[in-house]
Amino acid sequence: MSEQPPNEHGGSPDHGPDQHVAGRPPAAPGAEPPGPVAIPESPSPAAGLVAPPPAAPQAPAAGLGAPPAGVRPAPPTAPSDLPPSYSPAPHRPAAEPWPEAGAPEFSGTAPQPSRPAVPPEAPPAAEPWPEAGAPEFSGTAAQPYTPAAAPRPQAGYEAQSYVPAAEPQAGYEPPRAPEQPAPQAPAEWDGTIPVPATAAPADSVYHPQAPEPVPPVPRPAEPPATATDTVDGARNTPDRPLPYVELGMKDDEYERVKQILGRRPTSAELAIYSVMWSEHCSYKSSKVHLRQFADKAPQTDALLVGMGENAGVVDVGQGWAVTFKVESHNHPSYVEPYQGAATGVGGIVRDIISMGARPVAVMDSLRFGPADAPDTNRVLPGVVAGIGGYGNSLGLPNIGGEVVFDPCYLQNPLVNALCVGVLKHEDIKRATAPGPGNQVILFGAGTGPDGIGGASVLASATFDEASAQKRPSVQVGDPFMEKLLIECCLELFAEDLVVGIQDLGAAGVSCATTELAAAGTGGMHVDLDRVPLRDPTLRPEEILMSESQERMMAVVEPDRVARFLEICARWEVPATVIGEVTDTGRLVMTWRGEVIVDIPPGTAADEGPVYERPYAPPADLEQIRADTPGRLARPSNADELRRTVLWLAGSPNLASKTWVTSQYDRYVRGNTVLAMPEDAGVLRITEPSAATGGVPPEAVESSLGIALSLDGNGRYARLDPYAGAQLALSEAYRNVAVTGARPLAVTNCLNFGSPEDPGVMWQFAQAVEGLADACLRLGIPVTGGNVSFYNQTGSAAINPTPVIGVLGVHDDVRRRLSMAFAAENTTLVLLGQTREEFGGSEWAHVVYGHLGGLPPLVDLQAEAALASVISSAVLDGLLAAAHDLSDGGLSQALVESCLRGGLGCRVTLPGDPFTTLFSESVARAVVAVRPGGESRLAALCEAAGVQATQLGVIGGDSLTVEGLFSIPLSELREAHEHLIPSYAG
Amino acid sequence: MNAARVGVITFPGSLDDIDAMRALRLAGAEPVALWHADHDLRGIDAVVLPGGFSYGDYLRAGAIARFAPLMEQLVPAARAGLPVLGICNGFQVLCESHLLPGALLPNASRHFVCRDQRLRIDNADTVWTADYSAGQELVIPVKNMDGRYVADEETLTELEAAGRVVARYLDLNPNGSLNDIAGITNEAGNVVGLMPHPEHAAESLTGPSTDGLGFFTSIVKRLVTT
Repeated sequence: MSEQPPNEHGGSPDHGPDQHVAGRPPAAPGAEPPGPVAIPESPSPAAGLVAPPPAAPQAPAAGLGAPPAGVRPAPPTAPSDLPPSYSPAPHRPAAEPWPEAGAPEFSGTAPQPSRPAVPPEAPPAAEPWPEAGAPEFSGTAAQPYTPAAAPRPQAGYEAQSYVPAAEPQAGYEPPRAPEQPAPQAPAEWDGTIPVPATAAPADSVYHPQAPEPVPPVPRPAEPPATATDTVDGARNTPDRPLPYVELGMKDDEYERVKQILGRRPTSAELAIYSVMWSEHCSYKSSKVHLRQFADKAPQTDALLVGMGENAGVVDVGQGWAVTFKVESHNHPSYVEPYQGAATGVGGIVRDIISMGARPVAVMDSLRFGPADAPDTNRVLPGVVAGIGGYGNSLGLPNIGGEVVFDPCYLQNPLVNALCVGVLKHEDIKRATAPGPGNQVILFGAGTGPDGIGGASVLASATFDEASAQKRPSVQVGDPFMEKLLIECCLELFAEDLVVGIQDLGAAGVSCATTELAAAGTGGMHVDLDRVPLRDPTLRPEEILMSESQERMMAVVEPDRVARFLEICARWEVPATVIGEVTDTGRLVMTWRGEVIVDIPPGTAADEGPVYERPYAPPADLEQIRADTPGRLARPSNADELRRTVLWLAGSPNLASKTWVTSQYDRYVRGNTVLAMPEDAGVLRITEPSAATGGVPPEAVESSLGIALSLDGNGRYARLDPYAGAQLALSEAYRNVAVTGARPLAVTNCLNFGSPEDPGVMWQFAQAVEGLADACLRLGIPVTGGNVSFYNQTGSAAINPTPVIGVLGVHDDVRRRLSMAFAAENTTLVLLGQTREEFGGSEWAHVVYGHLGGLPPLVDLQAEAALASVISSAVLDGLLAAAHDLSDGGLSQALVESCLRGGLGCRVTLPGDPFTTLFSESVARAVVAVRPGGESRLAALCEAAGVQATQLGVIGGDSLTVEGLFSIPLSELREAHEHLIPSYAG
Repeated sequence: MNAARVGVITFPGSLDDIDAMRALRLAGAEPVALWHADHDLRGIDAVVLPGGFSYGDYLRAGAIARFAPLMEQLVPAARAGLPVLGICNGFQVLCESHLLPGALLPNASRHFVCRDQRLRIDNADTVWTADYSAGQELVIPVKNMDGRYVADEETLTELEAAGRVVARYLDLNPNGSLNDIAGITNEAGNVVGLMPHPEHAAESLTGPSTDGLGFFTSIVKRLVTT
């Protein structure tokens, strides 16, 4: 762990708080900013929350839109009108002890300034606001990432590939000019390299644009064939140095490759081993821990395919199965937000297709730096537009997720995308290449120089200087091709034309060929010359490492190949036979007629290095835990409580995310029952078969449904990663349960810093253990997931952020519960027990920028009991609404439910008002009970040991807490929706 | 009595074809899947061009789909009176095909927008809106990237004067369309283009309302009576 652990308030002592509040009023004590000095009792809802004028009302828009260069908008986190006595001290880095004298108290005698001397609500960034952080993107750079500019600029790029015949011909054979340059003898070419005899036979190739097979194109600039590093050549030049270090390979790893092969690898083989043994592909640092998910897996009949395949598959009943998985695309999304996020969606969708399923929805869990940071301004709009641009074009509804702001993600945003697919049990597909003689078909987009920054090292070191030019390292997505791939694959599956299938993601052809071969008969012969290229100058190493999107690889019996290609042609998806399954146990690849790869595929795919990295708790952990929130001054009267409700409702993490979610299509496919901002996304399971030409069956739609939630809390995990992972699981489990679903299975995306840091490794080990233990207790298996390490800037790691997805089943989705308070005069009941728990809470974060103490107590038994009560109550038709309590506690839950349904409520708080409103104790929900159902619900609760407390009734147009305060819905709405305006620029 | 057979054309990149077929079925029609590359309208009684991103909308939205082989059959049939409803991308294809005037540009906000939209039916005399009454208000989803309806002054004046604006946005114009136009019809009233998605408001379980069903029941009743 670094000496300066990054967390919400890990501000560098070198930078005073005013570093973070530029653009806001002076913060010096006594220097009272202009503007309203007290919360007016004005009916104008805006007034109560507006940051100091004059810039404040524009601040949120600017924070997410495109502010003038150099102008830092007022942080939207800043309701300036703190209650006079509710004036916490300027917040400090958690790592520093809070000064005794600084401990604020609600004496009521605080000086008169209507806001704290230093506004406490803007947590300092882990580093000074980076103009420095992203110099090349500051200011106006947000512009290129707005949809108008970014998503559509590739007209030329796509047009050349996918434009159908402008003048349609009979049979619709697009009579296009060849996509690739026609082979021609370059002027300086000496002609000594013949077109390889291995060029694909015409009947095995379908090019919509180029009916004739395109032989490899020799280039003038290219050195002659002698440059190809062949297997024979490797035997003859055992001492030739290869740039394995530049490819991220350690000395001992390279030695091991040499041992395996009995010689030095060729540069192509090195390309394969270096990517397959990378952390990303081999899980070499995490493997020893991830085994717990299998070792501690609960007994369940639901799991049809467990970890290790592209995605897990679970039985949801009635012959249906569901596959789902979440994956990170963090680093690309920081470099190029639009394409990084878009291709993140594309990658996870292909994982789901690979299982034989129709993708039916996506979700996304997003984390950014502070909402008002300039770089967030660059990253967030691009990421959101990218997710929308890709997912919307695929026709996949986006049904939920999270958007979280925290300084620790400033230069390391997290973009975790989830996809869920449905299939029949008998349609499950595997990534395997069995049966010698079966054909290996590469289909989808052409292979280009995307994402092969690493390979250029090989090219430059091994070949001529001219090829050393930098290759782009972020992939570019083509959602239209992916949509065609989805439909094409489903038709291929429906006719049972594939015996094995694998998508191409990280490590591209290297990964697909080694994994397919390793899981099949063991051998494969691949002719790399046949790989259709978007850039004919690509070297074989680059072809092997290219991460070009929208590609799949299938293994097909020889007599099915013709039909396979026919279906691809119908969907205008290029498909090429590039190889054949063998029984040699070797993966052999040829290039220009020479063997350049000859390896046992399992050594690359499954037998990568495994590290038991050292771990130990971060040095500052005890100190952070000792700094409990008990010392923070609390609101002490009705007015302060009221303002705190509004303050939290309008803070970045709790404010309405409509601006984000309105850019996602939540309706397409017509099966979305619930979507954000509901607790979980709920889908009806029904799928017209491809056999009927897509026409829905005449029968009544199925009533089977699923619910999905994706949750994480980096602050909790920072305080206690074991509990933090369990709390994320608890929340996702609860979110699914409050819709009335039965939680069934788990996926996860584990976002951490560098595994080479023992503190981070300890966080990781703890989180995995916590998650595995909790899944066992709750009886829901982990079906798969993803690990993202090296999420850090310099030595500062992000908060450990396990993001957990829980899938649940609705046997009758028509009974699902919404969180909306929409039925007047129904009784509100609080389920679960509220403790005084503020460690890592939103309240401490928003009001004080404080992170310390311990997170809420994990109580899995109580979670299970709560879920069973709600499930039974739904079956009995007792409930009209339910909403889980989590970030922001009861206060935020009531705000959201009132605004969602458009009705207010009148409640009486059972205990200490502050604790009841803002504590984040787990295993709680607020439910609306239909008239007459109260006693039956009470009986259910008693039987399950769940505490039930009557709160009040739904109705009216304000949120009223008896004896304390009342807030009109209009004022709540303004507070909640003000920050991230739903139609920002 | 045979159910009305209503075709739904699938182009590469069409997305809401399944939804349109479901809505037609709920309205009592027999949906017929039509493929863009075919040359045969299969004897259908009416056609829906569904939403989506045909050919990725990488060129102008709808600009490539209009050249599909099946459109060569559809355009003359529509001019001869075949009822055609274009939804979202389908509306864009109809404009590109010159079956409807004007064009659809990227939203004024330059963001994709998906929201439950209040609309008012201004023309209940087309074959697709006869089940509504003029002035009736609906809530159905709008979701588009290129939904800003524009036309030259003369065309707009003509549309307004002839009552050819079928539906208009209320409360909030989600994409910057001129005159808050959400949908228009041709002179004959058989071809209607609509930016919002009535097929997503056909079931109470999955839609914000069932207000959209009227577009589909309108055509079913018309076809049964003729």
